[in-house]
Amino acid sequence: MHKIFLIIKREFLTRVRKKTFIIGTILFPLLYLALIFGTGYIANKTREDLKIGLIDKSSLFTKEILESVNKYDTSSSLALITTNEEKFIKDFDSLGYDGYVIIPQNFDWQKGLDSPNVLKINTKKSFGAGALNPVERKINMVWNKIKNDSLGLDVKKEAILTKALSLKLNNEKDRTADTEVASIIGYVCGFLMYFILLLYGSQVMMGVTEEKTSRIAEVVVSSVKPFQLMIGKIVGIGMVALTQFLIWIACIFLIYNLTKNTGGSSGAASDIVGKIQHVFTSVNIPLVVGCFIFYLLGGFFFYSSLYAAIGSAINEDMREAQSLSFPITMLVIFSIALMTPAISNPSSSVAVWASIIPFSSPIVMMARIPFGVPNTVPWWQLGLSMALLIAGFMFTTWFAARIYRTGILMYGKKPSWKEMIKWAFIK
Amino acid sequence: MNILEVHNLKKYFANQKAVDDISLTIPKGSIFGLLGPNGAGKTTLIRMITGIFYPDAGEIILNGKKFDPENDAKYIGYMPEERGLYKKMKIGEQALYLAQLKGLSKADALHKIKDWFKRLEMDSWWNKKVEDLSKGMGQKLQFVITVLHNPDLIILDEPFSGLDPINANLIKDEIYRLAQNGTTIIFSTHRMEQVEEICNNIVLVNKGKKILDGTVNNVKQGFKENLFSIHLENIPGNISTSSFNVIHTNKQELVVKINDGYKANDVLSHFINNGSNIISFKEILPSLNDIFIKLVEGTPTARQFDTTIA
Repeated sequence: MHKIFLIIKREFLTRVRKKTFIIGTILFPLLYLALIFGTGYIANKTREDLKIGLIDKSSLFTKEILESVNKYDTSSSLALITTNEEKFIKDFDSLGYDGYVIIPQNFDWQKGLDSPNVLKINTKKSFGAGALNPVERKINMVWNKIKNDSLGLDVKKEAILTKALSLKLNNEKDRTADTEVASIIGYVCGFLMYFILLLYGSQVMMGVTEEKTSRIAEVVVSSVKPFQLMIGKIVGIGMVALTQFLIWIACIFLIYNLTKNTGGSSGAASDIVGKIQHVFTSVNIPLVVGCFIFYLLGGFFFYSSLYAAIGSAINEDMREAQSLSFPITMLVIFSIALMTPAISNPSSSVAVWASIIPFSSPIVMMARIPFGVPNTVPWWQLGLSMALLIAGFMFTTWFAARIYRTGILMYGKKPSWKEMIKWAFIK
Repeated sequence: MNILEVHNLKKYFANQKAVDDISLTIPKGSIFGLLGPNGAGKTTLIRMITGIFYPDAGEIILNGKKFDPENDAKYIGYMPEERGLYKKMKIGEQALYLAQLKGLSKADALHKIKDWFKRLEMDSWWNKKVEDLSKGMGQKLQFVITVLHNPDLIILDEPFSGLDPINANLIKDEIYRLAQNGTTIIFSTHRMEQVEEICNNIVLVNKGKKILDGTVNNVKQGFKENLFSIHLENIPGNISTSSFNVIHTNKQELVVKINDGYKANDVLSHFINNGSNIISFKEILPSLNDIFIKLVEGTPTARQFDTTIA
């Protein structure tokens, strides 16, 4: 036992003291946030505002209406072309327009055009939906205005007409449940789990391969059992993953406590504060964090022991690692593919079974838990899932240890999965 | 008192009998040579003695008790042929870690490392990384790590490969010093001149079996071919006698093989009676190298290609 502890300590300290760990711990959340906000910002920044000329043969579209709509929505601009139409059609691009739309003479204020109710926008370049949708929206706004005026509806009456209802879920058993927040937390948990499993799993694999190819393994296994060396490495790296996660959680709680006191401030800041506070009150945070730690460790042991087995089988060549670890990596990717349907319908049978079967349970169960225990996820499901995960990683660890003790001292040709399974089950 | 006894040890792999019924005893304090061509089963045998492999059959007795890999690791120091250290770990920390894995306490390990580092002039290495060391320096460090925990039995697999003569002598002196203090050393190699120089006892294995066992002197005596070298002032033109045959003539030197039933004195008296002036006369014993080649030849390459298990 003392020797395993020494190995764990070495694995943990050499990794935590590395600069890459500190940088990774700080940079990963920042990158993650930058990715979310950055893509939104870039999408906003690169939006194309089109300038479209409108040639009206129906005489329904007036300058006043267009101007009022342009003032209301500035994303693209419509201009009524009344003079020199032929010349405009020929040279609209040199006049600074992106395209033009002809409203035909038979345009009817009640029906629009005979079906199909489609107008053509003529351009000299191609535009995507992101650029065309605002134009479409705007032309419809103009038409609505024409319809309102013709029907004699004023602003007040129009407001009455366009009033609509929306539905909000009120779960009687769990009044704090908020599907939207739960989905977001589910996604974050699932993806975080995915990253940690793949990232630290491959660290275990590379660590084992390094020990094998640098031949230190032979020196060490003359002092300790191969199993102790493998478990020490897995636990040590698992502790690193856990440490990183706990640092992040501590940061989130720090932010929570800081924002709690400044709750009364005004403007956009208080809006964000309100949202953060809302997340904390609508999800059972201690349960989510507790379960995350369990599934993080359980899933990590499950996968990393398999990665350790692969690491012991390969030699210097990293391509060998890729081809042998492909089935394992596919299991993780398959789990993340199951996560999306599980979040959109957390009580479906796919979600339930995927969150109970050990290989997918760490990711899928973590995506379901924010929806509420025991209402969305009954206690029996959580218990069964946890018990099976423990059984699962005990099996993979046993299986991996049998491959490991043979592989770690075996040099030469890369074994196939079939050979590795033979090592595990024969002698 | 024998430090190690191996009885009928067997280890079979899927495609070969790596160690096939080997027995040997190693007296305490001896320097023991384990010889054999590549792929003879030396490494597998050593791996069983160090507890890395479990034997399929047979038993290992260490210090009079059945060998228990988990608790007896501290009595054994093993330097594998392929040296291995963590490249990115600081040398001092690495030595400390590996010594603690052998079961030393931290304080004890620290004390011993400082001691060894001082003796082998490695003081300044403490904060360096292994990747900063030259190959020879790495060998030296590996040797120190192997013997650090004062094991009763040290197993060195090709300990001098890659060492320059100065460092090789340094290590050789340390080996003698350790042996004098009662440590037993198993020395696995196929470099015969080193074995002749260092070892008291040898075992020769080939194809997983023991084919020769004994002290260096006895082995040589056992394989001698009654060859003698005689230096004469003038070699007589015609030598004919029933007591010996001339094998080889070189300037003033004759190599003769004494025929059965005759003794060395018969050769001498032949030349004395002849009136030739004898400058020197000595027996030619076969070198271990010759014995090795003689015994192993005929079946040398059969196993070299079965390298799935190295």
